[in-house]
Amino acid sequence: MGTPAAKLSVSVPGELAEAVRKRVGAKGLSGFVARALAHELEREGVGTLLVELEEQLGPPSKADLARARKAWPKR
Amino acid sequence: MAEALILDSEAINALAQPTTRRVLAERAAAILRVAHQKRALVRVPAPVLAEVCRGVRRDSAINHLLNNPGVRVVELDRATAQQAGQMLARLKLSSAHAIDAFLVATALQFDTAVIATGDPDDIRRLAAPFPRIGVFAL
Repeated sequence: MGTPAAKLSVSVPGELAEAVRKRVGAKGLSGFVARALAHELEREGVGTLLVELEEQLGPPSKADLARARKAWPKR
Repeated sequence: MAEALILDSEAINALAQPTTRRVLAERAAAILRVAHQKRALVRVPAPVLAEVCRGVRRDSAINHLLNNPGVRVVELDRATAQQAGQMLARLKLSSAHAIDAFLVATALQFDTAVIATGDPDDIRRLAAPFPRIGVFAL
């Protein structure tokens, strides 16, 4: 079981708050914000890993990056 | 649902020990960078750990990678395992390919996904019916 939910009080631009409420409604706001925060923390983790890899390997080659982009399916 | 990069055992080993697996690690770093640019999630199906974890003394690099908050292990649930079994049956593959099928079934949990793998031929066969799954050969 995870830790109990915590309440956070945050301030965001009014337009952003309106857009999010329009998208998920008042009841879905907590879940939406929790997913967004988790995703951002994960992205920071991957960013840290990329820095560690670049320190050891140097930057990826253009050829490897091009092949990696080509592997990604279109949405 | 999001986009995802799914790592197989070769990708994990390469990212965990980049200087001893340099060529593979350079390729793995490239697909990881593209995944980051696309805001994709990075996931490891839990059964893959059976292929890479070999004991406390040898697992420190693997654990360092898996402790990164951006590299998340996905538990194998009943629906995913059954879907993997159906894929194996369709291609008349034995359970020796079960982890390959788990990789593809995990990828199907996302809108689009790329599997980074050292075993592209079998993964491509399993993923062939699913255009929203890409395969990146290390």
